Amino acid sequence: MADALRLDRVSKRFGEATAVNDLSFAVREGEVFGFLGGNGAGKTTSLRMVLDIIRPTAGRIEVLGRAPGRENSAELGFLPEERGLYRTMTALDTITYFGRLKGMTAGDARRGGRTLLDRFGLDASSKVTVDKLSKGMAQKVQLATAVVNDPKLLILDEPFSGLDPVNQGLLEDEIGRASKNGATVIFSTHVMQHAERLCDRLLLLAKGNKRFEGTQGEARRLLPARLAVTARDDPGQLPGVAEAAPAGTGAGVDGWREWRVRLDVGVETGDVLEAATARGFPLRRFEEQRTSLHDVFLHVVGQEESR
Amino acid sequence: MSASLNHFLLVAAREFRQIAGTKGFWITLLILPIAIAAGPIVGRFIDKSDTQRLMLIDRSGREAGAIRQQFDLDHQRAVLSALSRYTERHHLERADPQALWAQHGRWYSDADVARFVGAGGAPAALARIKRVAAADTPAFDPPKPHTEVVPVPAGIAAAPPERIDALLQPYLHPGEKGGDKKAKALDGALLIPAEFGRGGTGVRLWANSRPDADLVQTLQGVLTRDLRTGYLRANGLSPAAVQTADALVPAIAVSAPPPGGGGKEQVVIRSLVPLALAYMLLMSLMLSGQWMLQGLIEERSNKLLETVLACVSPHELMYGKLAGSVAAGLTMILVWVGCALAAGYAGQGAIADIIRPALAPLTSPWTILAMIYYFLAGYLIVSMIFLVIGAMSDSMRDAQSYLMPVILVIMMPIFILMQVMLRGAGGAGITAMTWFPLYTPFTMLARLGTGVPLWEVLGTCAMLAVVIGIELMLLGRVFRASLLRAGQKPNFAALGRLMRRERD
Repeated sequence: MADALRLDRVSKRFGEATAVNDLSFAVREGEVFGFLGGNGAGKTTSLRMVLDIIRPTAGRIEVLGRAPGRENSAELGFLPEERGLYRTMTALDTITYFGRLKGMTAGDARRGGRTLLDRFGLDASSKVTVDKLSKGMAQKVQLATAVVNDPKLLILDEPFSGLDPVNQGLLEDEIGRASKNGATVIFSTHVMQHAERLCDRLLLLAKGNKRFEGTQGEARRLLPARLAVTARDDPGQLPGVAEAAPAGTGAGVDGWREWRVRLDVGVETGDVLEAATARGFPLRRFEEQRTSLHDVFLHVVGQEESR
Repeated sequence: MSASLNHFLLVAAREFRQIAGTKGFWITLLILPIAIAAGPIVGRFIDKSDTQRLMLIDRSGREAGAIRQQFDLDHQRAVLSALSRYTERHHLERADPQALWAQHGRWYSDADVARFVGAGGAPAALARIKRVAAADTPAFDPPKPHTEVVPVPAGIAAAPPERIDALLQPYLHPGEKGGDKKAKALDGALLIPAEFGRGGTGVRLWANSRPDADLVQTLQGVLTRDLRTGYLRANGLSPAAVQTADALVPAIAVSAPPPGGGGKEQVVIRSLVPLALAYMLLMSLMLSGQWMLQGLIEERSNKLLETVLACVSPHELMYGKLAGSVAAGLTMILVWVGCALAAGYAGQGAIADIIRPALAPLTSPWTILAMIYYFLAGYLIVSMIFLVIGAMSDSMRDAQSYLMPVILVIMMPIFILMQVMLRGAGGAGITAMTWFPLYTPFTMLARLGTGVPLWEVLGTCAMLAVVIGIELMLLGRVFRASLLRAGQKPNFAALGRLMRRERD
């Protein structure tokens, strides 16, 4: 599968400050890719370089196999973190204008705009000027400007920030729809729940440096697995178990007790179960406690930088 | 069409629509047409009160006839003068080159007026003129009589002198004390007693406001002549000698500009179009520049720029905005110039008299080309400054701190320049201003009507091209770097650094 986006040793410096440092990663076609990091991690700067709004100090970027530039805009969709619209333009004119800036004909852009407004439940407001729309309606129009050209690569910078729950759902649906239609979606966020629900792969950034790139499973494996176990004996004697502590106080019924178990880094829960079976270690419950991306993020990026 | 050109045109069209969508644009656009249309209406309204209404109560039985005759003579003199200017304006002297109305450089004496009336007056003259006048020659509009003598009501004619004052009040101030409010007021009433001229008896004049100076002068002239004639006769001069003495009037040759200007007046009028263009350039620049600046600040404060910049480059955005703003300004100018042309060629009267000769400098295509060039150059030089201010400001309040000194620097010298040009002055100061690029377009536009050496036109055009090129490059860098910048506004040192930086 070809890469929709590739960054190769990209750095960006503003005077003395380094916003992005020697960053390399690739996003494959059709992927939903999460760009995770705290404030000031370099997410927006990286996305701006991809869009050619700013240029890298060093390194090379390829967008859909080409250098960054406005000639790519016909195949790109972009929703910035800080959003706004022309207050005196109507909803439909706004979408049409941005569609035309992306190389669509006036007719196609208008038709695309009507379809989107219909889908977002704004068909009755197509001729209403933006200053008369509610905030939620304006957010939908903003999203429509990003996807009116059915982009091959959809870049969303903190897309969920400021959205009400209804529009968050709408946005997740649109990401799903774009992905289903073969588009590549890249979105930056520091809300891990969205990344968990949507991302195929993700990249963790901290202070402009890459800390991790891979699938969610690979990310979780960065932290030791945890188990909830009910056993008569101490599971700490099993191979691969780093720590086992009884949950609650006192003995359980007939000697069965609840245990909280932490495995060594890299040890799979299946290996521990296999070892217990081989040794005749009696178990009434063996439940994997799934590591959240939030925990991985805190672990990789660090408490301070995640804020 | 290339993507870049498409982006440029789309941004320009949106900018134009945004400016044209403001109320301020339409109010400004319509000010001049409304003023031109309202001019003649206001003029007519003012003209209505021109004719003085006078009641002549002549109990001497000698003076009323002479006064009426003088009023008539003065009116015919005004008609003859107007006819003379009419024939001169429309080049109709060939209708009768010997006629008095075909001889322009003279003051018409009483004898001249008598000859004119004797030859049939205005109707006879117009009949001759009609034979040579073109079909589209506007009709002659004769002046209204200065004074209209109204009949004396029987009650006043027979009233004793001491009651006349009270009896005249309803005529001088109708509507007061329950009178007829719709009745036309008298401007004045003159009582000439039966014993006028004997034992120092004078006349009495009532007026409903400050008496008209011309009217008083005419009355005084007629009455003085009567007194003087009586005196000369009483002292032994024969009636024929008295009449001859009365008719002694020096011939006065008059050298006045032709209708619509001449001499210094002509120089000023020929400067009007260039000066007006310079002024229009200044006003439309200030307005459309501020509208463009507001639009850019809206884009910045509404966080729109990042979305736009993902589709168009900063240069496409900058040039598109400049083009949209220039188009809005040019639209205003075209409408104003169109209205002025329509008023000049479709209308008559004072406005047409000024506008037609004022358009004389525009007969040369080179002058028109030079004007268009200076106009566009002026727009680019100043609009670019407004654009950069907009790019550096998050709000209009922010922008004001940059804007006020810039506006002062642009406007103050230009207003001084216009005053100097209108006084027909010039000199080294104006020539020096011509070579200061910020003022060059305005100064050259203002000077074009009075004639500028070719080398100066070519030199300033070349200088402007170079300066605008440098300005677009340096301020273009500031514009690009400031678009997404937040926080503290750049000082002069930071601006210098931004100008040197090629690309972020």
